[in-house]
Amino acid sequence: MNREHLKTDLTQFLQTIQHPDRPSTSIDEDDGLVESGWVDSLALLQIITYLEETYQIDFRKIGFVPSELRSIGTILDLIEREA
Amino acid sequence: MHFNLTVGNLIEPTSGRHWDPPEISRQIDARIQHYQKLGFSAGDRAFLHLGNCLEFFADLLAIWRLGGCVIPIDNRLTLFEVKNLAQAATPRLSIIDDHTNSSITDYMSTSGVIIRHTLDCHTALNKSRNHLSTLNAIRLDDEAFILFTSGSTGDPKGVVHTHRSLRARWMSLHQSLGTLDFQRSLCMLPTHFGHGLICNCLFPWLSGNDLYILPPFRPDLIMNIGSILDEHQITFMSSVPSMWRVALKVAKPPSQRTIQRIHCGSAPLSGYLWEEIQAWSGTTAVCNSYGITETGSWVAGLAEKHVTPEDGLVGEGWGSVIKVLKTNDTRALEEKDLICQPGETGYVWLNTPALMKTYFQRDDLTNQVVHNGWFMTGDIGLLDDRHRLYLKGRERDEINKGGIKIYPADIDIVIEQFTQTVDVASFAYEEALYGQDVGVGVVLKDQNQSTIRDLYGWVKSRLAEHKIPTRWYLMESIPRTSRGKINRAAVMEYCSQHTPLNLREILHDSTQESK
Repeated sequence: MNREHLKTDLTQFLQTIQHPDRPSTSIDEDDGLVESGWVDSLALLQIITYLEETYQIDFRKIGFVPSELRSIGTILDLIEREA
Repeated sequence: MHFNLTVGNLIEPTSGRHWDPPEISRQIDARIQHYQKLGFSAGDRAFLHLGNCLEFFADLLAIWRLGGCVIPIDNRLTLFEVKNLAQAATPRLSIIDDHTNSSITDYMSTSGVIIRHTLDCHTALNKSRNHLSTLNAIRLDDEAFILFTSGSTGDPKGVVHTHRSLRARWMSLHQSLGTLDFQRSLCMLPTHFGHGLICNCLFPWLSGNDLYILPPFRPDLIMNIGSILDEHQITFMSSVPSMWRVALKVAKPPSQRTIQRIHCGSAPLSGYLWEEIQAWSGTTAVCNSYGITETGSWVAGLAEKHVTPEDGLVGEGWGSVIKVLKTNDTRALEEKDLICQPGETGYVWLNTPALMKTYFQRDDLTNQVVHNGWFMTGDIGLLDDRHRLYLKGRERDEINKGGIKIYPADIDIVIEQFTQTVDVASFAYEEALYGQDVGVGVVLKDQNQSTIRDLYGWVKSRLAEHKIPTRWYLMESIPRTSRGKINRAAVMEYCSQHTPLNLREILHDSTQESK
């Protein structure tokens, strides 16, 4: 699966976990997801669950590095490296 | 030991800040001088709007030494909720930090409350390097804390603890658990509620042990808990089950095995999760600590080092006598044959010198749950033939969201006040991460989208974010019992069979319309 495809899937997923009153405008690949208010910090947990279930990434094995989940771009890098 | 309040070091691992006992004394003294000059005196109450930081603890002990009472305020509360609490508790002083919402500061200021930033004592801090105050106006039966557990939107319910009841809790814990395991204690729980404040923080710290304090429930820290334990050689931490649902999924286990004891409380702990925590942490001293704010939190658990997990197992009383009775009615306590036999399920009652003094200005509520020193917990359980307590359920009407208790009445009262509301009932629904989350069924005069948007805005401005329902259902009527009370089980059942409103779409439409 190419990066564009992964990005579409990821963006669709992120929209499902946004708080209902958060901005729905698109977000750049490098923008911080939490810093920009696009999702709240608890969404990190849902992102992890998504990555585990969709791409079988085992965080307990690879360890959790917060910066790897900072933006759409860093998450895509993680998927490409670990999935 | 707990009569003198001997403190250990305070450390903030996230900022790297560290106060040793001499620095803590200076910080406390500076605040005593500063608040005294402002006119704060014995018998006054102070709102503490900050938490989980070094300054919180210096402010706390300063207020106590001035003879005052501390009311920790959850900084997530809305102006509407803080106003309500302030009108009930009439604080003389509000201590804020950079995170305090300016609307709250403005309101307190116009209400005649003295507002001070926790760092405003800096001038006094320089002076106190040469001269430490000896003032200590603590009297055992004075109010030490008022901990508001519910009613932030209606009639506030505040648990009043005196210095006597708090010392009784800490001395009971000392007797049951010792203090060796608590040498380097970590707190990741909020400091505005009993479990985090009285037991996770103050018990170890006021025993002279070091306290490592983190911002509460921060996912990135929970996910890194193994390395935090290793880096700071942590020997003890308390927790809630939802933290472990995250940590066990993601966090690498600690490699240095410094942890001696882990407590888990504020929500049911399954035997399975318990075993997982033991395996991850490398210690078998993991305990399902049973605590209620009214009893100064941890009131029972297992003291031993080798614990075999079982669903619902709590253990023995820590400075408390536990009874399981066939009644939950304080008026029926004098009747005979009320005591359940070993293995028989009934209502859990506790007798402890750490019991709260009263509910703040609510004798009616106090009389419903306290009789002759016995406290009706609202929990259902049994004692086995070794007199160990097992919890089987709760009778209390509450939503336990990741260990934080949310009361449906607090939500209902806000939604009821919306002009288009006919009837409302909030309820708990099962959720994988938190255990429970908040749902609400609402009957509206007018069900169009703009009304729903207005209702959401109404709720958002009045309820702290964690209390805002995450699933909303429109209903034709709210089922009630024959006595007219809301039948929350029936509401929950109805909603579980229907699709919640798509709030995102409804609120997003508003954004589109306004463009």
